[in-house]
Amino acid sequence: MAKHLVVDPKKCVSCRTCELACSFGHHDVINPTLSRINVFHYEEDMISVPVVCMQCDEPSCAAVCPTGALHRNEDGVIEHDNSKCIKCKQCVSACPLGNISYSPKVQNVFKCDLCGGDPMCVKFCPSHAITFADTDFAPDKKQEAADKIKEAALQTREGE
Amino acid sequence: MADNISQGGWTGTILRVNLTRGTIKREPLNMQDAHDYVGARGLGTKMYCDEVDPKVNPLSPKNKLIFMTGPLTGTFATSGGRYEVVSKAPLTGTIGAANSGGHFGPELKFAGYDGIIFEGKAKEPVYLYINDDVVELRSAKKYWGKSVPVTTDKMQEDLGKEFRIATIAPTGERGVLFATIMNEKNRAAGRGGMGAVMGSKNLKAIAVHGTGDIKVARPEKFLKEVTKARKMLMEHPVCGEGLAAFGTEILVNIVNEVGGLPVNNARDGSSFDKANNISGEMLAETYLVKNQGCFGCSMACGRVTKVPQGIFEGKGEGPEYEAGWSFGAACGVDDIAAVLKANWLCNEYGMDPITLGSTIACAYELYEMGAIPEADVPFPFAFGDAEGMVKLAEMTAKGKGFGNTLALGSYRMAEKYGHPELSMSVKKQEMPAYDGRAIQGIGLEYATSNRGGCHVRGYMISPEVLGLPFKMDPLVTEGKASTLKLFQDLTALCDSTGICLFSTFGIGLPEIAGQYREAVGSDESDEEILLKGERVWNLEKKFNMAAGVEKDTLPPRLLREELPSGPAKGKVNELQTMLAEYYAERGWSKDGEPTKAKLKALSLDGYKL
Amino acid sequence: MKVKFFATYRAIAGCESFDAPAPCTMLELLQYCSKKWPKFRDLLLDKSGRQLGPDLIIMVNGRHIQHLDGINTKLTDEDVVAITPQMAGG
Repeated sequence: MAKHLVVDPKKCVSCRTCELACSFGHHDVINPTLSRINVFHYEEDMISVPVVCMQCDEPSCAAVCPTGALHRNEDGVIEHDNSKCIKCKQCVSACPLGNISYSPKVQNVFKCDLCGGDPMCVKFCPSHAITFADTDFAPDKKQEAADKIKEAALQTREGE
Repeated sequence: MADNISQGGWTGTILRVNLTRGTIKREPLNMQDAHDYVGARGLGTKMYCDEVDPKVNPLSPKNKLIFMTGPLTGTFATSGGRYEVVSKAPLTGTIGAANSGGHFGPELKFAGYDGIIFEGKAKEPVYLYINDDVVELRSAKKYWGKSVPVTTDKMQEDLGKEFRIATIAPTGERGVLFATIMNEKNRAAGRGGMGAVMGSKNLKAIAVHGTGDIKVARPEKFLKEVTKARKMLMEHPVCGEGLAAFGTEILVNIVNEVGGLPVNNARDGSSFDKANNISGEMLAETYLVKNQGCFGCSMACGRVTKVPQGIFEGKGEGPEYEAGWSFGAACGVDDIAAVLKANWLCNEYGMDPITLGSTIACAYELYEMGAIPEADVPFPFAFGDAEGMVKLAEMTAKGKGFGNTLALGSYRMAEKYGHPELSMSVKKQEMPAYDGRAIQGIGLEYATSNRGGCHVRGYMISPEVLGLPFKMDPLVTEGKASTLKLFQDLTALCDSTGICLFSTFGIGLPEIAGQYREAVGSDESDEEILLKGERVWNLEKKFNMAAGVEKDTLPPRLLREELPSGPAKGKVNELQTMLAEYYAERGWSKDGEPTKAKLKALSLDGYKL
Repeated sequence: MKVKFFATYRAIAGCESFDAPAPCTMLELLQYCSKKWPKFRDLLLDKSGRQLGPDLIIMVNGRHIQHLDGINTKLTDEDVVAITPQMAGG
């Protein structure tokens, strides 16, 4: 079954362990600019958001790739095949979420490959803000929505 | 030998910034010293001692200020986000080494520098701009006089959000003796007045952004060690769950339970009947928004807090346990919102909350006994007055009225009013939140700490109260000297590697040494690596001796006034017994001086200071 | 006899403290708590149900029970007991 990463900003503690784990796992060095996942901290709102490839059902990066270097593998991961890549960086512009990057330092395109099925970021995230979930499992958010509507309705009623 | 030492964990470059001349030089890291003194606190101290006369006036241009990372800083090691600021401390006259977390230290290494040595004094306010290879001194006129958050925001607006800022507040500019250096607004190189040293050099801030790699010597083995150590931390009841849920403030109730939470400047014993009101549990129930972690840290003990309304309205980070005590029990205050407010003021205006809270408490006692004339005080002082406490914190922050007296710290203030004995300090630095009468070993730590009254040089609360890694009876003296020596050496090692001391609640020497070995590419034994911690300790001691620092002792209150109540009722600190044992454990003379044999064993014998 | 809870144990007990029947031994008190709040069962005592759990601190009148009579410490109505999960800070 295909899986992808799910992030929960409410749980993120902004430590960037995921960035270190990712860069170290892929490059044997520690360097957040080489990480496939990055944490954005909103100080005023007291919240942090990790951003990473969603392995989209309709991947823009693969769609614009002129050489077929980006394709979905049997595990559902959008893979980057370096041997076919001409570093045109079309994919970098195409991804609406900024989740595929080009590094001038290593002169290569890189994106999340889910570490071959055992993502380092998930393994080392101390607050379990990043989880590895089945793509086919769509959580039922209706209950959550109902809870919110109920709260709003209650407040309106109290106001009347 | 130096040629054979790998540069694993290091960038290999030190910046030397001469503020008088406005010059910036790149120098190779001395790898032999890095090998012998590990990094951060240890290596920074070695570099400092090599270059500065111990008798130097800390606030003169002849003093130097060193920012130093460790070989594990910015790596994937457990809580490897720390850096150290080293200089002679203006509050104490001792060697000062203040440790801070956040993301600043790692960013400096990503930019390609292991540390920075600042010399001299700039003619006008400047800041150091570091953007990878571009390093410049720039005018800081527009930031001078601004608080920590205002400076940080303005600099990030000017330079970009990706820059990490370490800055002083107006307290550092004015030379407040316990001014801190703050990075990312809320992380502090807190004790001893490093912010005042920075201010004396007209150096407002360092802004750094880096995109380079940090490499370790043996990546595969390093990952193995890190994975093992991280797993231990994440599965540990304290490091995996407790610190994240409650922060360090969780200690309030338990330390009060053992009768070790000093009340009203330690005048009224150490059992605070309102302790629960200022506890970590209370904070979690009231004003805690979320927890936050420093760079690469799995413990995430930081508190993001907010008081939505009332006279103490505001938001920020903290408090830690120590500030919870200093603004709480030490001042007789049990309003946690007031504690938060005072703590935020410390972050915004760059002040050490342990020293400030304890100094306010001392002022309260001096006033109540009639030692401070009415003409000197802005309003009548009284233990328990939360609003007054916050007002005094604000006056100190802004340099107004009596705040300028509080800015001296408790010792110099109490001396001014004729009662230096009422300063709860050692070597003029305020002791933190544990009573040395109820917890004997921590008293020995305060007395012997190389930077004056301090708990994080050898945290005896671990064995004496918490039972980590083993339980010792807090009321007895037996075994305290040998345990403290071990803790002090291990802490010196831990600080020098660049990982957080809190990790030692869950991991020990094998894991610290293991990560260190694979990062730097060493094959030394655990014991050989621990010996470096002892070397650091003895070097710090040698500096203090050469600087003419006063002897190891405690305030008379702890030595003579019996605790009036609680489980330690009737107790004083039995320092003399422990001190003799401690010097013997250290291999020092009866007067507490390292012997020739000890210095030889640590390869410090040829070292002149 | 007053029994106080700290940290996460407060959520389990649903209170900061309660009055427990005395006299008894520490073991009996812990068994009593485990019965009253089943979530305590695997925390306060080990699997045998006769030894202390691994990650807790218990004090009687501010003295750690290791410096008293451990799990056999005798308790009277006058005693104040504090029970907390292992914690640290600084």
